[in-house]
Amino acid sequence: MPENVIEAQELVRIYRSSTGFLRKKKKETLAVNKVSFSVGRGELFGVLGPNGAGKTTTIKMLTTLLTPSAGTAKVLGFDVTKDPVEVRKRIGLILGGERGLYYRVSGRQNLKYFADLYGVPLQQRDRRIQDVLDMVGLSEKADSKVEDYSRGMKQKLHIAKGILHDPEVIFMDEPTIGLDPQASRETRKLTQDLINQGKTILLTTHYMFEADELCRRIAVINNGKIVAMDTPQGLKGLVRDTAVIEVEGFGIDDKVMDRVRKLDGVRTVSATASESKQVMRVQVCDAGELLSPVTKALDCKVIDVRVKEPTLEDAYLWLVEGHA
Amino acid sequence: MPRLRAMKAAFEHQARHFLSDPGWLIPNIILPFIITLVALLLYGSSDGPVVMYAVLGGGMMGMWGNTLYASGYSIQSERWWGTLESVLAVPTPLIWIIAGRTIWNALIGVANGLAILAVAVFVLQAPITVADLPLFLLAFLMTLLSLAALGLVFSSAFVLTRQAGVLTNGLEYPIYVATGCMYPIAILPFWTGPLSLSLAPSWGIDAIRIAAGYNPQGLWDGYLGVLDPMVAYAVDIIVVVVMACAYLVIAFYLFGVVDRRARIEGNLGRV
Repeated sequence: MPENVIEAQELVRIYRSSTGFLRKKKKETLAVNKVSFSVGRGELFGVLGPNGAGKTTTIKMLTTLLTPSAGTAKVLGFDVTKDPVEVRKRIGLILGGERGLYYRVSGRQNLKYFADLYGVPLQQRDRRIQDVLDMVGLSEKADSKVEDYSRGMKQKLHIAKGILHDPEVIFMDEPTIGLDPQASRETRKLTQDLINQGKTILLTTHYMFEADELCRRIAVINNGKIVAMDTPQGLKGLVRDTAVIEVEGFGIDDKVMDRVRKLDGVRTVSATASESKQVMRVQVCDAGELLSPVTKALDCKVIDVRVKEPTLEDAYLWLVEGHA
Repeated sequence: MPRLRAMKAAFEHQARHFLSDPGWLIPNIILPFIITLVALLLYGSSDGPVVMYAVLGGGMMGMWGNTLYASGYSIQSERWWGTLESVLAVPTPLIWIIAGRTIWNALIGVANGLAILAVAVFVLQAPITVADLPLFLLAFLMTLLSLAALGLVFSSAFVLTRQAGVLTNGLEYPIYVATGCMYPIAILPFWTGPLSLSLAPSWGIDAIRIAAGYNPQGLWDGYLGVLDPMVAYAVDIIVVVVMACAYLVIAFYLFGVVDRRARIEGNLGRV
């Protein structure tokens, strides 16, 4: 068996579309541009990137749902374009979000259907369904209709569906998107359990702490290209010479951020909102030198200003803002 | 065997979904029933053959409606639910999954046709007799299978398009008209003949009428002259079988093409 169970070589994907009726205009969008990486057996490999970066397109090519425009990809030694059926037999696909399930039937019936489509041996089918339901913690609601499930329960069913046929390699596309903190934590624990069982996982996510907590290695993808690939520690090392000034306050809007961004020595500025207050993170070369200018540029109500060590999120922002 | 098992699973899955959505009653039972009722009221004073056309026509409309529902709306629904990608990610080729669904809908079509017949005979007191029941049932079964095979051909196109529902509606009435389910196709303009004759159900309906003993103007009239009813019946059945097999071959080929194209175009997840 090959050492690397997933191998992507110079993968390219171009979407072609047209607009207009009589005078058609053709448009080509380069979604993935010469992406190469490999994932070892038993590894949890993360793909991080902003919306539209090419994460899902990459997963779709590796799971045979999309044909690459150029390049090659192999999963467990099988070429995704030449031996797609062999690839499909051995992989599991776990999607995030509300879609991808049959709502009008129960969770157990969803699993039974997919067990038959994947050819889970008949003698083992019902036992296997019960096992995965137990594993994801959905046994009690297994016979309720999916339309009555919460968002977190639907995600558990997505996971159960993806591991039903005991695949060696699992592709997880943003499995915690839209989940509350408790459901996200449960999903991360399930992901870790799968790794402990020896599965190989490729995970795409927006959430830095998730990637930091779970992944052995991470590829950061932006505009269809891998801009960095390393361990979480290695990626954090990219912003080793950076400090972060974190400002918590009210009224931190685009104007405030633009003013801070224009200051000499500021590398990146980002903000998150929680309820009515905002938290702005400013990456700077020298926190001691820039603390005062940043504070002066704040034309808003400030609750707190702190200087922090850079995190994976800071490395990520630095990379996707074109500093790679 | 894994493919047959997947087909069986798709059949059962379609049954569960079909029964969980009361909406199917309208296009598949109520509408054909109303049309049959109106036709019976219009032809009420007529004799057996005309009434038979009305009842058979209603039954055929129900069966074709079911087939289109299976092939069109079920794929459209997969897009809406976001399950089309999951189904295409499994090792089983899509055609076996769609075939399982189509068989369920064909069976519902049988129930539909029989229900219309029963209501026509027992409730509306329509004067219907069947001259040769075994031949009638054989022709009925063959017609049903040919409809399912035709539905499978159309369903391959539905995988590619995001307008399967519109296509389904658009295909419903032309088939009713071209197959002459309510009247002999000989009364249609001559130029429509090639279309009618290329549809296996046209031949199947003709065989049903011959077996029922109501075929004063057969399918062949106006084209090749009047044949002996039993010869015409045998030819009808052979043509239905050959055409249904041809539809299956075409469907297998088209599903292969469509599967490749869908993965190249990358629109499987789009609604």
